[in-house]
This record gives sequence, structure tokens and C-alpha cells, in this order.
Amino acid sequence: MTSDAAAWEALRLSLWVACWATVLAVPLALWIAWILARRDFWGKSLLSALVHLPLVLPPVVTGYLLLMGFGRNAPLGRALDSIGITLAFHWSGAVLAAIIMGFPLMVRAMRLAIEAVDPKLEEAAATLGAPRIAIFGRVTLPLIAPGILAGAVMGFAKAMGEFGATITFVANIPGQTQTLPSAIWAALQIPGGENQAIAMVMMASVVAIGAVLISEALARRVAARIAGA
Amino acid sequence: MTVFAAASLRGALEEIAQAYPGDVSLSFGGSGTIARQIAAGAPADVVVLANTLWMDWLVEQGTHIIEAPQPVAANTLVLIGPKDAEPLAELNDLPARLATGRLAIGHRDAVPAGTYARQWLEAAGLWDEVKDRLAETDNVRAALAFVTRGAVPLGIVYASDAVAEPAVKVLWHAPASDHDTIAYPAAALTPVGKTFLHALTSPQAGLIFTAHGFQAVIQ
Repeated sequence: MTSDAAAWEALRLSLWVACWATVLAVPLALWIAWILARRDFWGKSLLSALVHLPLVLPPVVTGYLLLMGFGRNAPLGRALDSIGITLAFHWSGAVLAAIIMGFPLMVRAMRLAIEAVDPKLEEAAATLGAPRIAIFGRVTLPLIAPGILAGAVMGFAKAMGEFGATITFVANIPGQTQTLPSAIWAALQIPGGENQAIAMVMMASVVAIGAVLISEALARRVAARIAGA
Repeated sequence: MTVFAAASLRGALEEIAQAYPGDVSLSFGGSGTIARQIAAGAPADVVVLANTLWMDWLVEQGTHIIEAPQPVAANTLVLIGPKDAEPLAELNDLPARLATGRLAIGHRDAVPAGTYARQWLEAAGLWDEVKDRLAETDNVRAALAFVTRGAVPLGIVYASDAVAEPAVKVLWHAPASDHDTIAYPAAALTPVGKTFLHALTSPQAGLIFTAHGFQAVIQ
């Protein structure tokens, strides 16, 4: 494979991994954010700390913990393997690493949005006889939509840039786990590899700028809808 | 005194620094990272790298070097498996032993140990058969970790890495003629650094290198 083809392949894989990570993590992050914002229970601080742990730990350590938990020889890894989900040295492992690393950022943004919702609005809807599901869908969700969007963008961005946990957990296999950051890192480790690295950095920058523009446009539409509702 | 050194030398250099009369602070990293830091003006007195390519690059960049780079240690390459692995009858059995698993090596281009491993596999005529069954890592110790955690059945690391890890067993030694010489070139960047550079090639340092699985270069 030429270095150009390898760079495009890495870009394709990075987008693929980041999209999957975002799609899978948003509902889960919203649920955890909801629990943390609205519920009181024993161990709440512990759950919050656990969610934030990947933010504090060096990514290499997170990758190593994933290897111990989900590797081929680990119980969880074997259990998933037996139902047909292979994470070891597979792109799905890179998705898992991206989810774990981006999760605290997503939860944080969504939790703040949920906490900012005035409960009186929900209570008012309830006194008017709206069922709980309708209150969530027609009152709460539109109010927290900007927070969900912000969390999703953070998660996507983290997934695009994640390197340490991914390479430690699922290595650097072209087409499977060699994401753009891995490819950029590899190019920088070769004397004279700067030009190739710069080309890939430009690719990553275009994606990043594009993602920000799209999210800004989405945020404007959401804001307009809330204002109009 | 500040020494920038390749990460694979950690155990041995820490011991040598302890025995050295004077304060030595050690900063470890990948050879490429260190070389770029030095070229960007990092305040190091001595630099020790894991391959000659990066030392040549440093010299080409016009780095001010007090004394010409010289090898201070050498290493060899080994094929490893978990400590309960069956011995390998011949190297050609490697692909069969991998079965559906992967072979862990440092990244073929980015990590010196990976480049040597590729050269060895090419010389042994096994590269084409295993090149799509590799797990390439960002440093050689990560390849070692894949084997110790059982994530892969086999890996290729330095002999010094295998010495440091009791959970693995050496299954094959690479013939030195099958890959480039694995030398650790060192250079002094300041006059202070010169004395430490000489200490690295002393007989005492040689004993420490040998105990850590390296081959000593004594001058």
C-alpha cells in the first residue's frame, strides 16, 4: 500500500470508528447523565468518579486496563467472543476505546444541560395531564438538546483524536485499528516522515473544522426550534 | 546532568546512574521522540538512542555534538511465548503456532525493534506469511505486554525485554546476521556529558548491561 492509500484508509477508519463510538455512546451517556443529575442513590459519587476516571488516567493505562478486561484471555473478552463480538485487534475494539475515552466529556456536557432544566416546566406539563414520556419528549428533550449535541460533538472529537488507549488495547493494524492518530504518530517516528505526517494532520484538521461547522449549524437549528416552540 | 535515553534502556541506565558519582536525571522515551526533542534544543548532556538511524539524523540536523556518537551497548532479538509454551522445533513452525492469533512486534517502520523484527522475518522467508497477522505496537514493551497478558500467542522483542519479564519464555534467538546490528549509540552534547558517556563504556557499566540482557561494549 502506498503511503497515500494508507493515509486515506486511516481517515476512513477514523471516521468509521468515531461515528460508531458516538452513535453507541450518546444514549448511554444520556442515561448516566440523567441518573447523575436527577437521582440520589448510594454510590452516586462513586459512579461519577468511575465515569471520569479515563479523563484522569494516562490513556496508555486505560488501554492496558481494557486489555486486561476485554483481551482474548480475559473473562469479559472471552464471553463477548463466544457471542460473536470480537474486540481484540478489531475495529470494534477501537470503538470501545473511543467510547470509554469520550464518555466523561459526553456525560459532563449532558449532565450540565439536564441540571439547567427548570423542574417547574416539567411540573407544569404534569399538572396539565401530560404523561411522563410526553413530558420528556416535548419539554425536557428540546431543552437539553443543545447539551446532547455538545456532548456528541465532544465524544466524536475525542474519538477522532484518541491514540494512547487505542494503540495499547488493539495495536496499529492497517485497515482494522490504524486510525489517523496512529498513522500520524507512526510517520513522525520515521526520520523524514514529517511531510507524510503533515498531510495527515491537514486531513484531520479538515474533518475537525467540518465537524465543528456542522455542529454549529445544528445548534442554530435546535436553538431556532426551541425559540419557535 | 541530564540524560535522554531510549525507553528500552531504563533498567540498566537507572542502575548505572545510581553508581555514578554525581546527580544524573534520566528522561526516557522513544528514540524518534527523543531525537526530535534534542534537535529542538532540549537541555540534555547525553543522548542514548536505540538505533543508529536516528543518531545519523541528529548529526544531519547539525546538532552540536562534543564527541562522535559511539555504541555503548548492543542487543539481540528473540521470539517469545507465554512461560508454559512448548519449545519450537523450527522457526518455520511460527505461522502454525500463531494459529488464528497474532504476532506482536513493535511497529515495522516506527519502532526500531519492529524494524529489526521485520528484517529477521524477511530473512527467514516468513514475512509474507505473517505480515497480515501482526499486532504492531507503539513500543516494544507494549508488544511484550500483549504476550504476558495472553492477548497474542507470540511476540518478537529484545533479549533484554525477555530477561526483564519472568512471565514469558524465549522460543527462538534471531541470528545476528538476519537483521541490522542492534546498537545503542550514545553522544555527549556538553563537556559534562563526556564523563558520563565514558562511564557508560566502563567495565562496571558493562556488567550492568549484561545483567539486564544487553551485550556490553567496553572501551
